[in-house]
Amino acid sequence: MNSNSFSPARIWTLAAATVTQLVRMKIMAFLVVFCVIVVAAGFAFPVMNPEQQLKLLKDVSFGALQIFSVVIAIVSTALLLPRDLEDRTLYTILSKPVPRYEYLLGKLIGVLLLIGAGLVLMDIAFSAVLWLRQSLVLVQSVAALKQEGVATPEAIAQLNEFVGKQGLTWNIHLGVLAIFLKASVIAALSLMISCFASSTLFTVVISLLVTIIGHGQGLIREYFFSEGMNQIIKKLGSAMLAILTPDLGVFDVLDNVINGEIVSAFSAGVMIGTAALYVTGYVLVSHLLFVEKEL
Amino acid sequence: MPDSTSSPPAVTVENLTKVFKSGLGKQAFVAVRDLSLTVQKGEVYGLIGPNGSGKSTTMKAILGLLSPTVGKTTIFGKSSTEVESRRDVGFLPENPYFYKHLSGLETLLFYGRLCSMSGRDLQDKAREMLALTGLEDAANRRVAGFSKGMLQRLGLAQALLHEPRLIILDEPTAGVDPAGSRKIRDLIMGFKERGITVLVTSHLLEQIQEVCDRVGIMAHGRMVREGKLDDLIAVENETELILADASPDLLAEIRTLAESKGAKWIRSGHSRTTLERLFLESTEEPKS
Ligand SMILES: Nc1ncnc2c1ncn2[C@@H]1O[C@H](COP(=O)(O)OP(=O)(O)OP(=O)(O)O)[C@@H](O)[C@H]1O
Ligand SMILES: [Mg+2]
Repeated sequence: MNSNSFSPARIWTLAAATVTQLVRMKIMAFLVVFCVIVVAAGFAFPVMNPEQQLKLLKDVSFGALQIFSVVIAIVSTALLLPRDLEDRTLYTILSKPVPRYEYLLGKLIGVLLLIGAGLVLMDIAFSAVLWLRQSLVLVQSVAALKQEGVATPEAIAQLNEFVGKQGLTWNIHLGVLAIFLKASVIAALSLMISCFASSTLFTVVISLLVTIIGHGQGLIREYFFSEGMNQIIKKLGSAMLAILTPDLGVFDVLDNVINGEIVSAFSAGVMIGTAALYVTGYVLVSHLLFVEKEL
Repeated sequence: MPDSTSSPPAVTVENLTKVFKSGLGKQAFVAVRDLSLTVQKGEVYGLIGPNGSGKSTTMKAILGLLSPTVGKTTIFGKSSTEVESRRDVGFLPENPYFYKHLSGLETLLFYGRLCSMSGRDLQDKAREMLALTGLEDAANRRVAGFSKGMLQRLGLAQALLHEPRLIILDEPTAGVDPAGSRKIRDLIMGFKERGITVLVTSHLLEQIQEVCDRVGIMAHGRMVREGKLDDLIAVENETELILADASPDLLAEIRTLAESKGAKWIRSGHSRTTLERLFLESTEEPKS
C-alpha cells in the first residue's frame, strides 16, 4: 500500500504534538478555575430552597463548561496554524512527506482531544459535587419534613423522586456531550478561518463574532425576517445566514438539562449529525484553502 | 535498483517563474523569472546570489511549499506537487524554527515520526544526529532557549535524520560558529563521497567554492551564470602555479625564466578566492 496517501500514525503524531503544545502552554489551568467555581456554586448558597440550589449549581457549572470549551476551541485553534506559519515551523513539517490535510486533521484532532479530556475531567468533578450536594439536600429536606411532622412515606418518596430528577442523571452527561459537539463545530470553524486569516488576532475576533451570531441565529431569523417581508428576501437571508454561520442553536439543550427535562435520543442524534456535518464541511473548505496556501 | 544513467535527475526546475501578489492596488513582485536548472544525482550544486535574488523562493518551489506561477519542478522525477516527492529529501530552511515547547530530542523524534520512523531505530538515529551536530548537551533543553546557531544545528539534524538521498540546505552556516561551519563543510564533503545529492545556498563563497561541483549565480530572479565550478572560474589565457615552501629566490628565478620565454607575469602571492570576483562581476550587471 502507498504509505503516503493516508497515515493515521502521522496524524496521531501531529495531534499528540498539538496536545503537548497546548498543555505546555498551561491552557489546562482553566480546569482548576472551573473546579473552584463548581465547588463554590455547590456550597455557597445554602439558604435557597432545594430545587433552586440544584438548579443554580447546574446553571453555573454548565456556564463554566461552555465558556471553557468555546474559549479553548477558538483560542487554541486560532493560535496553532498562524503561529506555525509565523514561526516557519510549517516549512520543516510540510517538507517531510506530510500531506497538508493530515497536518490540518492532526491540529483539529489535537484540539478536540484536549477539549474532550478537559470536559471529561470537569464532568467527573461536576458530577461528584452535584451528587454530594444532592445527598445533602435530601438529608436536610427529610430532616425539615420530620421537624414539621409531615414525614409521611409518600412525602419522602415524592422528595426522592424530585431530587433525583434535579440531581445527577445521564442527562447531565448528554449536556456535556452537547457542549463538546458545539466546541467541535467552533474549533473546525476557527481552523477554517485561520486558513485564510493573516493573524491570530483576526482569527480570534472573527471566530468569536461568528460564534455569537451562530448562537443567535434563531433570534436573528425571527427578528429580521419577520412580518411584512418579501418571501424571497426572507429565504435568501436565511440561507446566507446558514451558510456563513453555523446554527449553534441545535446544541442548546442545556436549559432542558438544567430544568431536569429528559433529552430525547432523537435530539441527541440530531446534535451528533449536525456536528458531524458542520465539522466535515469546515474541514473540507479548510483543506481547499490550505492546499492553495502560499507559505 | 541500479543507478542507470537514464534515471531522472535529483532536481529539475523548468522555466520557473514566481510572482508574489501583494495586497490590492500594490504591484505584484516577480521573485523568480524563467529559471531553469538541473541537479544530477550525486552532485553538489551551489546556488549563490545577492539578498533577495530568489534563491530561497526557488528552494521552496522545489519542495512544493510555494506553487510556481509558471513552470514546474521535480525531485527524482516526481513533481513537487506530489507528497511522494518529499520522501527522499531533507530540507533545512533559512532561519529554521521549531516547536518551542519541545526539547531538542523530542523535536527530532517528532520529525522522525513524520517520516514514518519509529521505535529504537528512531531513538538511536535521533541521538546520533544530536551527536553529529554537537547538540548532545541540549538534548533535554526546550527549543525556546536555543541560540541561533543551535537552531541551525537542530535544523540540520532534522534534515539528515531520515537519511535522504537529496539534501537541500538554505544557508546552513548562517549564525554557526567557525568550528561548526567547518564541520558542516566536512559533512557536505562526506555526503558527496556517499553519493548523496546536495543543493546548497550560502553567502560564504569560499565554502561554496570548496564543496560544490557546479554553481549557479542568480541575480534579480534570473540565472546569470551557471556551470561547472572549474570551468566558471578558470581564466582561459592564464595559468595558476601553486607552490608550497617556495623561497623568494626560486620565485625570482621562475619569473625571469617565464619572461624570457615571452609569458607575461601577472601577479604572485597567496591564492585567493576567485569565485568571489566572479560573483561580484556577474551580479553587478545593471537592473533590467
Ligand atoms: N511571501 C512573499 N511575499 C512577497 N514577497 C516575497 C515573499 N517571499 C519572498 N519574497 C520576495 O522575493 C524576493 C526573493 O526572496 P528570496 O527569499 O528568495 O531571496 P534570497 O535569494 O533567498 O535572499 P537572501 O540571500 O536574503 O536569503 C525578495 O525580494 C522577497 O522580498
Ligand atoms: Mg534566502
